[in-house]
Formats: sequence, C-alpha cells, structure tokens
Amino acid sequence: MAEGIDVYKRRYGQNPKSLWRDLKGTVEPFYVTLRNMFKKPVTYQYPEEKRTPYPRYRARIVLTRDPEGGERCVACYLCSAACPVDCISMQSSEDENGRRYAAWFRINFSRCIYCGLCAEACPTLAIQMTPFYEFSGRDPLKMVYEKEDLLIADGGKDNEYNFYKHAGIGVANPRGGNEDEYGPVDVRSNLP
Amino acid sequence: MPILTIDNQQIEVLKGTNVLEAAKGLGIVIPHFCYHEALGAVGACRLCAMNFVEGPVKGIQMACMIEAKDEMVITTTDQASQEMRARVIEWLMMYHPHDCPVCDEGGECQLQDMTIAGGHDIRRYGGKKRTYSNQDLGPFICHEMNRCIQCYRCVRTYQDYCGGTDFGVLGTNQRVYFGRFRDGRLESPFSGNIVDACPTGVFTDRTFRYRTRYWDIEEAPSVCPHCSLGCAVIPGGRFRELQRVRGGVNKQTNGFFICDRARFGGGYGNHPERPRVPRVDGAQTTWPEALRALRKRITDLVARHGPGAVAFLGSPRASLEANYLLDSWAASLGSRRIAFDSHWQHDRSARVAAGKLGPRAASLEDIRCSDFILMIGVDPLNEAPMLALAVRQAVRRGVRLAVIDPRPVTLPCAAAHLPLAPEALPDVLEALAGGDIRRLGRREAVLLEGILEQLRAAERPVLIGGPDLLGAAGIERLLDTARLLASEHRPCKVMTVLAGPNSFGCGVLARQGPDFEAILNGMLAGEIKALVCLESDPMTGSSDPARTGMALGKLELLAALDYLPTAAAHHAHLFLPTTAVPESAGVYVNNEGRMLLFSSAMDPGTPISVSGGGDHPPRTFLPATPGSEPRPAWATLGHLQGRRLSLRDIRQAIEMEHPNFAGLSSLTTGGEGKRIADISPPPETAPEIPFPHSEGEGTLRLYAMEDFAGSGELAGYASALAPLRPTPFVMLGALDAKQRSLSDGQQVRLRSELGGVGVALRVVPDLPAGIALVPRLRGTALESYVPGRGHYDCQILSEDEEKT
Repeated sequence: MAEGIDVYKRRYGQNPKSLWRDLKGTVEPFYVTLRNMFKKPVTYQYPEEKRTPYPRYRARIVLTRDPEGGERCVACYLCSAACPVDCISMQSSEDENGRRYAAWFRINFSRCIYCGLCAEACPTLAIQMTPFYEFSGRDPLKMVYEKEDLLIADGGKDNEYNFYKHAGIGVANPRGGNEDEYGPVDVRSNLP
Repeated sequence: MPILTIDNQQIEVLKGTNVLEAAKGLGIVIPHFCYHEALGAVGACRLCAMNFVEGPVKGIQMACMIEAKDEMVITTTDQASQEMRARVIEWLMMYHPHDCPVCDEGGECQLQDMTIAGGHDIRRYGGKKRTYSNQDLGPFICHEMNRCIQCYRCVRTYQDYCGGTDFGVLGTNQRVYFGRFRDGRLESPFSGNIVDACPTGVFTDRTFRYRTRYWDIEEAPSVCPHCSLGCAVIPGGRFRELQRVRGGVNKQTNGFFICDRARFGGGYGNHPERPRVPRVDGAQTTWPEALRALRKRITDLVARHGPGAVAFLGSPRASLEANYLLDSWAASLGSRRIAFDSHWQHDRSARVAAGKLGPRAASLEDIRCSDFILMIGVDPLNEAPMLALAVRQAVRRGVRLAVIDPRPVTLPCAAAHLPLAPEALPDVLEALAGGDIRRLGRREAVLLEGILEQLRAAERPVLIGGPDLLGAAGIERLLDTARLLASEHRPCKVMTVLAGPNSFGCGVLARQGPDFEAILNGMLAGEIKALVCLESDPMTGSSDPARTGMALGKLELLAALDYLPTAAAHHAHLFLPTTAVPESAGVYVNNEGRMLLFSSAMDPGTPISVSGGGDHPPRTFLPATPGSEPRPAWATLGHLQGRRLSLRDIRQAIEMEHPNFAGLSSLTTGGEGKRIADISPPPETAPEIPFPHSEGEGTLRLYAMEDFAGSGELAGYASALAPLRPTPFVMLGALDAKQRSLSDGQQVRLRSELGGVGVALRVVPDLPAGIALVPRLRGTALESYVPGRGHYDCQILSEDEEKT
C-alpha cells in the first residue's frame, strides 16, 4: 500500500507543474487536429493513386544478368542459407563450359518477408530487390516463382560486374586470362 | 607422462604427443592445415604458431612439430603468436582465387574457417594472382589447383598412407603442383580420401559436383554396408537422394579413411528401379492391404501344411534388429527353418567366426599395430579394401607381410607372395599348426619355414583369412592354428574377412540352425511352400543360382522385404519395401564382432531430381512425400507379429535373449562400438569345401573371385562405380597359357558347366598350374560364377578352336 502511494507521489504529487501539464495535455491534441484540418492530406489514395518508392525499397526479388547477358546466379546457395523463412530453394548444376548455374531456382513469395538478406548475401549481384511492391494473389501456388519468372533481361542495379571475370576458374576468359591474373604457370619449368 | 602449461591451464599428456594435440585436449584449437592425426606433422603450413615462454624450447614455434615436455609454459593468446598466425594466413590467402561461390568446399572449407580464426578479414594484396592449369583426374575427383595452399596433405594421404604411386607433387619455387604426370583417372582404390584430406577445394568429389552445400546436406554417422569391416562413414542426402558419402572416424576400424567403393558406391538407394511401393501378386497396393495379405497367406499355409512349410531367410546386409525379429517371427510361428545367409559356405564361415573367434579377434587397429602379418586365402583389395590399407600401415613401419593365395593378390605395399592352389591351403594350415611341412613342394616348404620362424619370433602376429577359398573348415583350422601359435604372453590374433556387414551378427543368431542348403532341399522336395526373404536375394546370393531359381519356382509364396530391385524382389508374390542403410537405423556386427550403430541420415522418398525430371519440383500439393512408402524392416517385421516395438525395445529383447550382445542398448552412434561377449557355444564342425578331382584332358579348375566394384550386391546397383568395373576377363597361369598357345589380351572362349562365354585373357605369371580365375561381375556373363563354392571345371579355348 505504502509503495503505491510512493509511486503516485513520485509521478504526480511532488511536481508543481503537474496541473499545467495536465491542462496542456488536454488542449493540445485539439489544437493539432485543428491545425492539420487546413493542410493538404499526406494520404495517397492507393490504388487509384500510386506512389514511387525509392530505388532501395525492398519488394519483389529478381535474378539479373551479367553485361554479356549470361545468368549471374551461380547457385551457390548463400541466399537460401541467409533466408530466415526458407523461401528460396534451388539446384545447382554445371554446363558444358564449366559454368555453375541454377538448374532450377524457386522463390516462394507467399512466404517471403522481403528482408533483403538474400540480396545482401549474394556474392555475384544476381539476386536483387526491386521496388515492385504490388504483389499479392489469392492462389498460393501463383506466388511460387520459378527461375524463368524471376530472371530479368539486364543487370538491375549494376550493369558492370561479371563474377566469372574475377573468379579465376576459366569460364568468362580462358584460365589465367582475367585482368587480375597471371597466365597459368609452367609446372615443368626449373627456372628460379 | 609430461605435464605442461598452455594458456595458464595444466594438462598431462601421453609421451610423444605434440603440443598442438595437447592444446586440443584443453579445448584450445589453434588454426592448422598440414597436421592431421593420421598423417602426422610436417610443419609445412606454418600456421600453428605458439609462443613457448619457458621449457626446453623458447620463442615462437610450430606447435605440431614440438613434442610436449615437462615444464613447458606456452601461450597462444599473446600478441606475437597471434600476429604471426594472422600474417601466415594472409600469405596463404594471397593467391587464393575469388571463387568460393562456385567451389564445392565452400561451407565446409577449413581454409575459410582458419582464415577467420587466424584474424584475416580484409585482403590487402591488390596485385595479380597466380593460376594453374587443371588436370582431368577421372570420374571421381575434380581438380582445381588455383585454390591450393601447399599443405601437402593430399600427397601424404595418397602416397604415404594409401600407397598410390600415380599422383604426387611436381614443380619448384612458386610453381609447386599437386597432380599426376599426365591427365588420367587416379588409380588408387583409396583415391577419394584426398577429397576429405584437402583442407580447401583443390580436390572435390566429382560425383557430388555442384549438388549441395554442407549446411543443406542431411548427414548422420553410419556404417558402410559394402563389406564386413564396418568402416565408419557419413552418408549425406538432400532432396530425398543420397548425394555423397564421406569417411567417418572410428579408430578401431577404418581410422580416418575409407575406400572408393564405400565413398562412391552409395547410390544403390537411388537406383531408378528401386521398388518403393508394396506389391501383392504384381499389383501395387497399400501397406495395410499388403500386411494383411502376407499374414493371411502365411497363416493359411501353416494351417494347411504345418509351420515347417514356411521358411525364412535373413541377410548379412540387414540390421541385427531386423534379423532378430525375423528369427523371433519364425519362432512364434513354430518354424525352425531359418537361415541368415543364402550362401551356405559364407553362412558356415560366419558361424565359425562368431563361435570361435573370441578374444583372438583382431581389429583393423590391431593389424596396424601388429609386427608380422600372414594372409592366407584372402584378397583384401577386392574383399575388404580397408584391410589392405590397414596392412599397409603395418608394412610402412617395417613389418613383414606374407601372402599365401593362388590369386594375384594386389596390395598397396610390398609382400612375399606364395601362390598355392586352393586345394593346398588346408595343408598349409596344417603345416603351420605343426603338421608335416614336407607334404608341400620343396620351394613352398622353404618359404613356409621362413614364415613359421617369423611367426614364432613376432610379438604381435596377426593371421588373416577369408571364407571364399578357405571355407568354414579352413577358417576353423586357421583359428586352431592361431590358438596353437599363441602363448600366455604372446597373443596371436586372427582376422576373418566375412561376406557382409552383419555376417558376424547373423552367425551368432544362426547358432545350430539349418543353412540355406537345407532350406533349398526342403523347397525342392516340396516340403517348404513359402519363403520370406529379408533384404536378401537368394537368386544371386546363393552358391548355386540355377538350383535356387528352380526351387523358388516351386514355392506357393515368395515374400520379399527389400530396397533393391533384385530378382527375388521382382518375382516375389508379395513385396514390402524397406529403407536403405542411409535411411535407417540399426546395428551391424562387423567381422571382428564389434557392434556398430548406424543412424538414419535421411527419410526415404523419390528424389526430386527424378520427380522433377531434372527441372524444378512439380508444382502440385501432395499430402504425402512421393515414394515415402518404404519402412524400416524392423518396424515391418514387428508389425507383422502384431507388436509395436521401438528400436530400444528390440535391442533390450536381443540382450535378454542373447547375452552375447550385452551393452547393445547403451551403444551410441559415432563411437568405436563394442565387441560382443564371447559366450556362444562353438558351432558343430564345419563342412569342407569339396575339391572333387577334375576330369578330362585340358580341364582347368576355375575359381570365381570377388571384384572391387563388380561383385558386391550393393556395389552392383551403384551406378557411380561403373567406371571401376572391368570388362569380363579370365586369368590363366603363364604355363597353361603357353600350352594352349594363348597370349595375354586375346579374346578366348570360356566353357564350363554354366555354358560358354567370350572373355579376354589375362596371363598371370605365377598363377598355379591347372587353375583359372574369373572375377564375379554382376550384370555380365560372369555373374553366375559365385566365389566361395569350390571350383567349376572349365576349358579355355581360343576363338578359332571354338569354331572347329
């Protein structure tokens, strides 16, 4: 009991400004409402009126292409590992040139929370977030996107980077032919 | 035992332990690459630096190269040693390519872990990187030399530990290269171990190429089912498909490494024709329906013909629990007709081993530590590959190895080989046990005397024998020989290679019961009307496939529980699918009598690669996983008896009924296992392999032998092993070949009681006269030649002779 009184006193009793504060607290909201009644409303009349989000807005995910038009995704599974809701699944494979790619790549958008961790984890800039937010549906299966639904024609936010030009495994250029590499060493040489 | 202080903590270690291991004992893990428990230390990576403050050595030293001594005071956390490690890892990373996203090692890469542990996070080197050309190392190993950090682990594994000669280190200076002299398949049957040994992604598993990341793969400690040694393996699956197998650690059996058959032969459970749905009379049905049908038919048969009309066949590749439940089912029906191996000679050998091996059983570790080894009638590389590797470890220490076998026993080490005809092997055993040595030839007698002398002088000798040529009687004689050679202070241990992963366990369960030969006679006489096969295929497993096929045709009911598309499963009136080894849990008892637990790595189901046809998974919702019908055999067998049992219940029941298996229910996976108690009554005297005299001019005695990748039942269904299977050939001694004017590599006609077949001829210089050898190769014309059933009379003719 005594504790309760202490708490009340601490909060209200020993404060000489408390009456003034209470009065202000009663009147001020009316003032704020009154003031805003004559301003232009901030509400957008969605869906009639659409808003353009910032480029970094995180909505529908896409798979981009490198400057040469090849698929950037190397199916390294980092996005699916980073995904907190496990909505990304894929199977990697190898083509005849030794290029690692996704045989299939699936994002279940009905599960996706658009956190952007996949895009952050992607080492090849393949998976990117776009501002396309109008994204809903009644059939959950229609929200399951396969690779062909996800792939876009360009590099998205970056049109320069090509992972295979830096990876050193001889896919974009012959082995040792990238800019940041020496040519293959001659193992049989005895020179110092 | 030295006591030393590391980071203010004291630890007492065994003499000879290095400081890195001692620190590990305290839970202090210092980054290192080149040190490996099985390979030892070489101090090549310069990463395990510690600061030795007091004691016999001082200053910054490589911990793996320094033996722990008393009064050593060491710090690992001081600035100097931390800085040293950070610098070294930065040097190692300097040329490392920027390809982790496309590297299969990513996620389980020691280099990734050690880079972070060593404190290197931002690359300071901005210059060009060194590159190498890769080699094509065959269907199993991928090569990516750019990633190499020159720790030499691969060479030490491949050359030193496994005895391979076609792979090594080349080049000088900045060009050090690990590879072969020229492109080609790595020839060692243990080549896959370099994948496990490589701390980064230079060598990766080609069969697992770009399949799965480490964090996605479902793994569990398991036991290899390909031979009787019980090596620890770790199968890994994803998307309902077994994708890879890697070596586990069991210091009593395989140590750290496994053979290529274990590593690349795991695909039997993914076989495209694997039957996954219960079947009654050829039509697919549901589980309740199939179980009801089986119970009803068996009850009917028992009512009409008595319990003896139902016979049961267990299997050395089924778990101990399943075999036990089959046994108890037979007992509850009142049928005493149960055998546990369709190959009666293998069955009898297992019973002899189970009953008489006792404390003389040698583990692979005993073999590695032995000081004289005599192998008689055993071909390790083909019958139990890791045995060859264990023998090599002994030979590397300078131990003498003698091999008495008619086959050209290839081993990854030096051995004295005495090629004797199989009929002479009993005489050899007799001579070793103190019999008359002069019954053999003069040259043989001299060699044998030398062997005997060394055998008597050795402190830890081991005798190794196999059932295919010795037979049960020979194994018994081998055990008697060991008993005579042993004294109180000097044990003489024995290893008997058996047929399957659970042969020993089956041998204990079988006790005095009938063998498959008796059941076969019962079927042919019409006394047996039904046969229940548990994970076994008598059509290919028995020593006389033709007669077995005839007998099975007379049955009213053939029921099969299996996970392989075997002939028996195909022809069965009633089929119940079971789970494959990586999908099930249970116990195997290896050839030494060691109970080894395996656990389930994944659930059964049709792989997504199959249901999706290589593309994305089907876009349909299904209430159940497709192809998930297979159930563990023990669960089905419990159900058939109307009992709801857990694995724990079954294990406790086994312990109650067979006191040998004491401690079974307290076993844990991933451990070393536990040897069973030796209290089985010795079995009745084992029957000999018949050696009838050959008839006719030019007739050869043809023996079938095991092949590394072609003979095993499971290996036969593993598609990845196909490149290792040889084309059919027959081996003939140089003298016999000369008599017939045949030459090496020539196509010849092999004619025997099983018919004629065209094969290539291999001339083996020291094969005993009058003997021919063929490997049993499943899926070829040589499939019906079964090892371990004595010989076939045969003739080898050139193609022209055959025409005339």
